[in-house]
Amino acid sequence: MAEESKKNDEEDIRILAFLCNWCSYAGADLAGVSRFQYPPNVLDVRVMCTGTISPYFVIKAFQEGMDGVLIAGCHIGDCHYLKGNYMTAKRFQVLREALKFLGLEEGRLRLEWVSAAEGEKYADVIRSFTEEVKALGPSPLRGKKAAKAEVGA
Amino acid sequence: MSDLKTIVKEKLAGGADAFLCLKNEEGTVLPALITDADSPDLEFVDVGESRYPLGRILIDLQREYPDKRFAVLVRGCDERALIELSKLEQIDLDRLVMVGVACSTEEAEACGCPRPYPGDIALGEKVEAAPGREVIDEVESLGDAERLGWWKEQFSRCIKCYGCRNICPMCFCKDCALENPHLVEPGVIPPDFPSFHIIRALDMTGRCIDCGLCEEACPADIPLRSLYRKMQDIMEDKLEYRAGGSVEEKNPLSFLGTEHDIEKLEQE
Ligand code: SF4
Ligand code: SF4
Ligand code: FES
Repeated sequence: MAEESKKNDEEDIRILAFLCNWCSYAGADLAGVSRFQYPPNVLDVRVMCTGTISPYFVIKAFQEGMDGVLIAGCHIGDCHYLKGNYMTAKRFQVLREALKFLGLEEGRLRLEWVSAAEGEKYADVIRSFTEEVKALGPSPLRGKKAAKAEVGA
Repeated sequence: MSDLKTIVKEKLAGGADAFLCLKNEEGTVLPALITDADSPDLEFVDVGESRYPLGRILIDLQREYPDKRFAVLVRGCDERALIELSKLEQIDLDRLVMVGVACSTEEAEACGCPRPYPGDIALGEKVEAAPGREVIDEVESLGDAERLGWWKEQFSRCIKCYGCRNICPMCFCKDCALENPHLVEPGVIPPDFPSFHIIRALDMTGRCIDCGLCEEACPADIPLRSLYRKMQDIMEDKLEYRAGGSVEEKNPLSFLGTEHDIEKLEQE
């Protein structure tokens, strides 16, 4: 019984991915078109630049019961708005350390640079991140609001 | 050594249009704005032991009276706050004269201030104190799950009175994230875990000047100061910045920076 519910929990792992319109979103698209296999546990949010992602959004995602949050954007030097991802890189450092101090496992938050041409890299990132989050299990921050958001819906 | 009353008179005679400090009227401590040397309030001006974020009043005063020069009584923490507020475009240091008070040994030790004295000291003697690390060390000795439980227990006492925000010298936003219904559900006590407290911690990163007024004000004894202190350590460690230090140095979260900075950051 317990075994079974653990298994279900693993399958229910939900990941929110903030994808930059100009690179990672296209990378995700390419991964799909190229038929690279990657797990279906990811809910995408397309943003115009990773620099627009407030740390509040990440907090909100965890608050709403996401088990992992991925931010994927243009490589440094390739941001469509030139330096938007500089801000992403800086904020990420602070946010990651804050969550660590709070006691949320480090593996639940990830930042990756994935270009529009890197469909395979995108699939790899999703695969390895999903594995990592699955190993951690459901987020301890899943609360009353959790378990409602449907992935893939 | 001259007393506060004499200094107020000197500053008013020397070009300041008004002096902002505290007064003690038969045990009631209140902010006082002295505008001339005949003011009856002058009898009651007092350094005392009380602290109040006078910078919050100054923000409004400078806005309301853009041609006036103000003088203000500052402890170490007040000075750090004013410096940081100037970088956030809330205070104009050029129209301000700071009169510094060094906190006494007892005050400094009770407070645990990282720097219990301002740059220029007009009143009191400079002493050093050491900020406590007990809470941070305790939290860091725990594993992830225990940490989360520890904080959850602390934050579960929060009655969402907003005292921490209301007393904070560094809080001035008209639109506060802590009152945004998308982030913090209205009417729920204790507030959502962890959003309420983690949002405040993030917003205080690179901004909190470690005065401890929030923790002093909190009716629920939540170790807020240690949480924000840790955030400043993170800021210093990762982005090499500490709030309230130099007037020139800019907060790295307030500008984009160079590719070199980011490459350095990512190599760590
Ligand atoms: S110690 Fe508390 S009140 Fe003082 S600046 Fe930091 S957050 Fe604000
Ligand atoms: S002062 Fe304490 S009880 Fe009041 S809102 Fe802040 S943390 Fe909560
Ligand atoms: S446009 Fe892709 S990260 Fe800025």
